[in-house]
Amino acid sequence: MKFLQICFACWMVLWMAAPLHAQESSGGRLSGNLEANGNFFLRDTLIGAANTPQYDRQIFGSDAWLNLNYSNWGFDFNLRFDAFNNSNLLNPQGSYTALGFGRWSIHKEVEHFDFAAGYLYDQIGSGIIFRSYEQRALLIDNALVGLRVGYNFGPDLKVKAFTGVQKQQFDLYKSIIAGASVDYFLVGKEGSKFTWAPGFGVVRRTLDDATMNNLVATINTYLKEDAFVPTYTAYAMSMYQTLTWGPFTWYAEGAYKTKDNMSDPLAERVTISGDTIVGKLIQAPGSVLYTSFSFAKKGLGLTLEGKRTENFSFRTRPQEELNRGLINFLPPTTRVNTYRLTARYLPATQEFGELAFQVDARYKISKMASVNVNFSNITDLNGNQLYRELFTELLLKKTRKWQFTGGLQLQAYNQEAYFFKPGEPILENVTPYVDFLYRFPKRRSVRVEAQYMKTGEDGKGLGYDYGDWLFGLLEISPAPKWTITLSDMYNIGPGKNSPSDASSGEKLTVHFPRFDVFYTHGANRFSLSYVKQVEGVVCTGGVCRIEPAFSGVKFSVNSSF
Amino acid sequence: MKYLLFGLILGLTLLSTSCHEIPPVINPFMGDPPDTTIDLENQMRQVLIEEFTGVRCVQCPAGSAEIASLLAIHGERLVAVSIHAGDFSYPFPQSHYNFQTSEGEELINFLGPPISYPSAVIDRTLFDGEADLILGRNDWAGYIAQEKAIDPVIKIAVVPNFNETTRKLDVEVKLYPQEDILDPDVRISLMLTESNIVDYQDTPDGKVDNYVHKHVLRDMLTSYLGEGISETLISGIIITKNFSYTVPEVWNAGETASNVEEMHVVVFVHLGTTTKEVLQAIEVPVIK
Repeated sequence: MKFLQICFACWMVLWMAAPLHAQESSGGRLSGNLEANGNFFLRDTLIGAANTPQYDRQIFGSDAWLNLNYSNWGFDFNLRFDAFNNSNLLNPQGSYTALGFGRWSIHKEVEHFDFAAGYLYDQIGSGIIFRSYEQRALLIDNALVGLRVGYNFGPDLKVKAFTGVQKQQFDLYKSIIAGASVDYFLVGKEGSKFTWAPGFGVVRRTLDDATMNNLVATINTYLKEDAFVPTYTAYAMSMYQTLTWGPFTWYAEGAYKTKDNMSDPLAERVTISGDTIVGKLIQAPGSVLYTSFSFAKKGLGLTLEGKRTENFSFRTRPQEELNRGLINFLPPTTRVNTYRLTARYLPATQEFGELAFQVDARYKISKMASVNVNFSNITDLNGNQLYRELFTELLLKKTRKWQFTGGLQLQAYNQEAYFFKPGEPILENVTPYVDFLYRFPKRRSVRVEAQYMKTGEDGKGLGYDYGDWLFGLLEISPAPKWTITLSDMYNIGPGKNSPSDASSGEKLTVHFPRFDVFYTHGANRFSLSYVKQVEGVVCTGGVCRIEPAFSGVKFSVNSSF
Repeated sequence: MKYLLFGLILGLTLLSTSCHEIPPVINPFMGDPPDTTIDLENQMRQVLIEEFTGVRCVQCPAGSAEIASLLAIHGERLVAVSIHAGDFSYPFPQSHYNFQTSEGEELINFLGPPISYPSAVIDRTLFDGEADLILGRNDWAGYIAQEKAIDPVIKIAVVPNFNETTRKLDVEVKLYPQEDILDPDVRISLMLTESNIVDYQDTPDGKVDNYVHKHVLRDMLTSYLGEGISETLISGIIITKNFSYTVPEVWNAGETASNVEEMHVVVFVHLGTTTKEVLQAIEVPVIK
């Protein structure tokens, strides 16, 4: 903490000195952004928005980030202040209060050298062996706190190496992470449309003694057949390349991880009391093969993607669960859906075993019309279905006048794997949707959305999960700076998990309305929303968590300067 | 390109030369008898594990099985309490019992709502490198071993006396500080638990009606925050505390009678509200 204070003092000195220096030279450049969210919690036991500190007694929670960047004298400085007050972002069931400097960094380039120190965000390849990043929606902040050195051997060859520990909110994990990568870039002869960018990276993670002692103590409670000798260090290495040739782009990455200690949530173990339980520590090497191929020419766009994952959980501590302590990032191989109902069932990437492929085709029929078809399929390594989606979209538009989007989504979703509900059947649903936007002069517009989700039924005649949904949305932009949105998600055919009447036990058809007002002024955006939201899965790039229901009022500010 | 090859060769060379490490020694369970505390004089550090659970929690039986396994290893040196609280704790319409308590609901908020289940708090200690008091199952065994290795700063002797006619339970607690405890806010908490209750529970195999619930928190003889110890805790000075409680015939209206023979009194001394650390814990049956 003292070091942080010293850094902050240095930052303030530099900042205050900037205007003085400005008299001599450019004065540097200051930029930044503010994001602040406030939630008023209004208890609604019917939908399950209850029994958390916020609903019970705190009523209000907020989270905010103020990020400042300053560049001068060839240096780039970054400082970020984070504030969480009774926030439900870290643990949706809990309340988190902490504030302080969430990030600082200094970056400098000296001829071919490139140095950075502090809280660093970076990745190797597509992130399969290493990615330090921030995802505020899930409060993931895996910054590497350490040092990075890079060297450019020329315009076509760059190496970098880094070492540090991973950030844990306002604290640090103690395992050491170090890595290096070499990236090459080859351009074809003049006039050629050929480029090739191969690379190689390696990352090692060495456990700290406290983590190892804890691990050993846990393994000592296992029966002999489940016990293993844990290793302090695991290496993950990857080779990757991007080849472009005219309309073709091909990305391929192969990664291997040496024998590592991992927590497999689905592995079975017999305890010394004779009980069989699911979830145990295991040790195994891991691998990922990932490739994507795309073609784009004259209104036709085609993308093929495939991935095979086996035992590739790579964490700063093997005891960490859910989204904590992630060192790497496994890219998702499904479509990123945006409509409310088509995005209700999202598949999280599976670290221990996944065989996935996706094909996406777009064709522009005319100036007015285009179609998109997407198909993705995910199984585990034993061939068990995890996820399947067929998504179609027809887009019709008259430039600057109106736009119609409509289509159909069919899904099969393994609740057992994604909701951690053993024994639950695969949920199948079909969702037609339409979206119509009409533009008026002077940047005014009206947009309507309608979606209907029909889910299958289990043997008892009850719809899977929450059953069938109907969603409608009206969005009006009466003036360039204002947008008003009114929507309702209606549980028209209640399912197994829908709320019940307390006395009769009868399943209820519940409305989940939402009302938003957005105001945009320059680089500032304000929003005020009344929200009733059903529980569901929230994902960012295949990293997901189950969010409880929400009931209340949200206020947010986003500002850049 | 030659640089790339150079980088590859260098990387692989570094890897091949730095993969050797001296591994830790492990001693998997081989049927050793559990640890026991023989008498007060030889009382060692006894660790409290407070598990948060619920009859609707599919994964929680795995946590309870893990605790059963840990009790088989640590014996009397591990004191377990299963607190039914939170969203998963609401009884099924068919349930014979409601295991929820107001103290349990207070404790789940006081110790921090779990981010996932099963989860537990070990000695109410925020361990180095952890963000929360609440820990996932993978951490329990390690931190229990860590806590057990600490010498007790205080020893506890408990004598319960249950009157079957009046159902009055008197508990005499004697505290034996082993060193001066200077913290200004030291507290004592008493819990009443009941074991071997057969009732419904969600499990990975579906809802079962014959699940055996153990160490269920039924009530507290103190507030959920504990009762402050006003006496100065000085090594060699014995402090005596007395508590009384009437055990109800039934815990909730309409339920079958509570079973005193399966009840235990759990006593633990802990710090106040700033750090909640438990210094020593002990469990004794209501009827010996």
